[in-house]
Amino acid sequence: MANALLTPELLRRLEQFQLLARRRAKSSARGERRSKARGQSVEFADHRNYVPGDDFRYLDWNMYGRLEKLFLKLYEEERELPVRIFLDASESMGFGEPAKFHFARQIAAAVGYVALCGFDRVSVVPFPENRDEMAVRGALRAVRGRKSALNYFQNLGYLTAKGTANFNESLRRGALEARQAGMALVLSDFLDPNGYEAGLTALVGRGFQVNAVQILAPDEIAPGTFGDLRLVDAETGGVQEVTFGKYRLAAYQQMVQNYCQRMKEFCQGRGISFFMAPSNTSLEQLLLKQLRQAEVWG
Amino acid sequence: MNFLAPAAFFFALTIPVVVVFYLLKRKRVVKLVSSTLLWQKFLAETQASAPFQKLRRNWLLLLQILLLLLAVLALSRPYFATHAKSSQLRVLILDASASMQSTDESPSRFEVARKQALEWVDGLRDEDKMVILQVAANTEVKQSETSEKSALRRAIQSCAAVDSPTRLGPALKMAESLVRDRGKESNPEIHLFSDGAVPDMSDFGNSALPLIYHKIGHGANNLGITALDVRANPDDATQRAIYTSVSNFSTNALQTELELRFDGKLVETRPLTIKPGEPSPQVFLAPQTRDGVFTVHSTTPDDLAADNEASIVSLLPHPVKVLLVTRGNRLLERAFRSVRNLQLTVAADSADDGAAYDFVALDDIAPTVWPKGNILAIHVSNTNWFEKISEVEAPTIVDWKATHPVLRYVSFDNVHVVKSLVVKTPSWGISLAESQQASLMVAGELQRQRIIWIGFDPLESDWPLRIAFPIFMENASDWLNPANAKSSQLLVRAGDPFRLSLAQPVTSAQVTMPDNSIKKLAVDANTKEIVFGETFRQGTYRLRAGTNDTVFCVDLLDAAESNIKPREELQFGKYARVSATTLHRANMELWRSIAAIALAVLLFEWWYYHRRTV
Repeated sequence: MANALLTPELLRRLEQFQLLARRRAKSSARGERRSKARGQSVEFADHRNYVPGDDFRYLDWNMYGRLEKLFLKLYEEERELPVRIFLDASESMGFGEPAKFHFARQIAAAVGYVALCGFDRVSVVPFPENRDEMAVRGALRAVRGRKSALNYFQNLGYLTAKGTANFNESLRRGALEARQAGMALVLSDFLDPNGYEAGLTALVGRGFQVNAVQILAPDEIAPGTFGDLRLVDAETGGVQEVTFGKYRLAAYQQMVQNYCQRMKEFCQGRGISFFMAPSNTSLEQLLLKQLRQAEVWG
Repeated sequence: MNFLAPAAFFFALTIPVVVVFYLLKRKRVVKLVSSTLLWQKFLAETQASAPFQKLRRNWLLLLQILLLLLAVLALSRPYFATHAKSSQLRVLILDASASMQSTDESPSRFEVARKQALEWVDGLRDEDKMVILQVAANTEVKQSETSEKSALRRAIQSCAAVDSPTRLGPALKMAESLVRDRGKESNPEIHLFSDGAVPDMSDFGNSALPLIYHKIGHGANNLGITALDVRANPDDATQRAIYTSVSNFSTNALQTELELRFDGKLVETRPLTIKPGEPSPQVFLAPQTRDGVFTVHSTTPDDLAADNEASIVSLLPHPVKVLLVTRGNRLLERAFRSVRNLQLTVAADSADDGAAYDFVALDDIAPTVWPKGNILAIHVSNTNWFEKISEVEAPTIVDWKATHPVLRYVSFDNVHVVKSLVVKTPSWGISLAESQQASLMVAGELQRQRIIWIGFDPLESDWPLRIAFPIFMENASDWLNPANAKSSQLLVRAGDPFRLSLAQPVTSAQVTMPDNSIKKLAVDANTKEIVFGETFRQGTYRLRAGTNDTVFCVDLLDAAESNIKPREELQFGKYARVSATTLHRANMELWRSIAAIALAVLLFEWWYYHRRTV
């Protein structure tokens, strides 16, 4: 299944990366990320006065020799980085050639693999809910360790795009459910009639380091069907009649560009890394260049 | 409400085409898409996001602009002014004479002229004005100056061709008076629609009329009766001699049969072959036992029917009763007695008004009672006919009017006069013989009294020794004979009025027209003369006024009118002339063509719009 999402060559190259966290990890689980917590590690952090009951093994005898006072040596605790991937699995993601949802799963697989290799915990949150995939989705709630990567890829491959999503509500709930904030990756086409602003704002407000990847099908960027059209929304069932000719293609593309630009400005204003990727974009190009340049990983 | 081009209503037939276009339901292709969000934003952005947008090179836009331009151009009613100069007044003269009935043009020259005139009315600009004149024997103003096209059309439609000759002079004078007061900037024009069969128009040689002559007709196939007269046969008193002349105006020799009828009964048929351009004079001899009408008819059909028949009233001859009042003049008596069918009474004086005589001859004497009938006055000075009478010694006769019936075959060559009274020619008569100083002989009609006045005594000249003298007496007797005068009055040229003197007042009168229709005349109880002017058709008319029943004939008898070959130019005097124009209509308006193009563009635009969105 991993082969279906990512090639071995790409996996090998991804192993060299590590997700770059802008803040210290706040997770309670041990990991390999620096945190503000004090615990057992090789990184010296500070001294404090000895109080009865402290472990004698951590007494600094050199300090006692000089000052004749007992001090205890403190070390930084290394914690994990929770990586939460919000995957839009609504009906609209099933469109495109190649399908937007497939491309989104590839990105999710790649980011998840990098996180697993860095001993970080990966949580995939597909939305909307789909009762048929409860087991698979449950398995994707918390994935840790590099050895779980194969299962992780398999479970991602079982996901399907179905149903009507409420983007803002899904992200808000995901933000509340997370016990610790970490890195959040939002994979969606961001074509929800109710907008995307509230959901992203909720994630930022919860303390997530948010990365947003907008995935659009090539046909959505430059439609190839002209004439008198009756367009039916796959999710809402809404109908829109439009007379579209080649002469209006440039105007349409300009509109899409404006829409993406507005979203980019919104994200920049809130510290969100924004990427726009048509579903036919080269995966290597996105993962190895764009995300690296944006310092999502390094 | 009036319409300049009612035919344009046919464009309404395109309305169903447009309706059909609208009936065509637009077939929309159903397509399932991931989201309509982007489309909604696109439509909102392109349709209502901004009141203006950047102009793009859009063929639909260009086509619609072109359509608008064409429509505006059509509404501005452009026209080419190459055929007709701009004008504010056009006087349109429509020739309705007999020659315009020629059928060389279909259906007739007059109908073609009417059609062309209507085209000119159609081409009239709103600010232009037009006057419609119909000319035949008389000039009739059919429509005074107006710019109302419906009135002008009605006027032209009401015109009708008649059997009378063309008298263009009065019409041109009227038109000249209409355009004279217009400044040159108004550029008035006189348009004459005619075949050019008009008499001499020398009077207009120096007028510089702004005349545009529209020539109508092209053929000249016509055989016409141009003269008709009836007289007593000199050889046989019981017979009448009918003199007629048939002229061939075509370019080929024509054959015909000339029929003579008396009161409708065929008397004689004579086959004729007439060379092109030549007349063929014919004399028929026919017995006559009662008053009646002789009709000459040419049987060969030709382009003009109005001159194929002519009629004349022939009254039975009666002896001419003449009273010669003289102190004694044997030469004069002998000359009178040599006149055929004349009863002469000689008297020294006239004691009554001479009602018992056909005419009275006064030989150098003033009668006690002046006669009321016709008078031959010889060397009579005490009359009130002239303003001044003077006497000259040995006057030389330098000119005489040989065309007058009285001087027919009469010559004054080598006639010497010892002395003579001379007068200035009065308005009621014409001078028959003139000396260098004044007139020696006058003939005319004064208050329906025919008068021949001779200023010299024949005995004081060598005239009685000439052969011309008895001929003159014969001619004078004929001319003064009231019966002959009446006969001549019974032959009327088409378009001329018929006059009938009434011996006693009448209360009612009616005329039976050639087509047997009856026209009642309004008669004043005190009138002494009936004048009937509706003599537009050739044929025999019958006037019944009280107990008086009079038959008279109306004929064309006009060689100029029978010559139907259309003239290429009209001659005005010696030097001036007007060539026929080839113009047929005025301002050639283009708006209909432009509107048609606009319609085509509209249809193309519609088609293009549909093609582009499929």
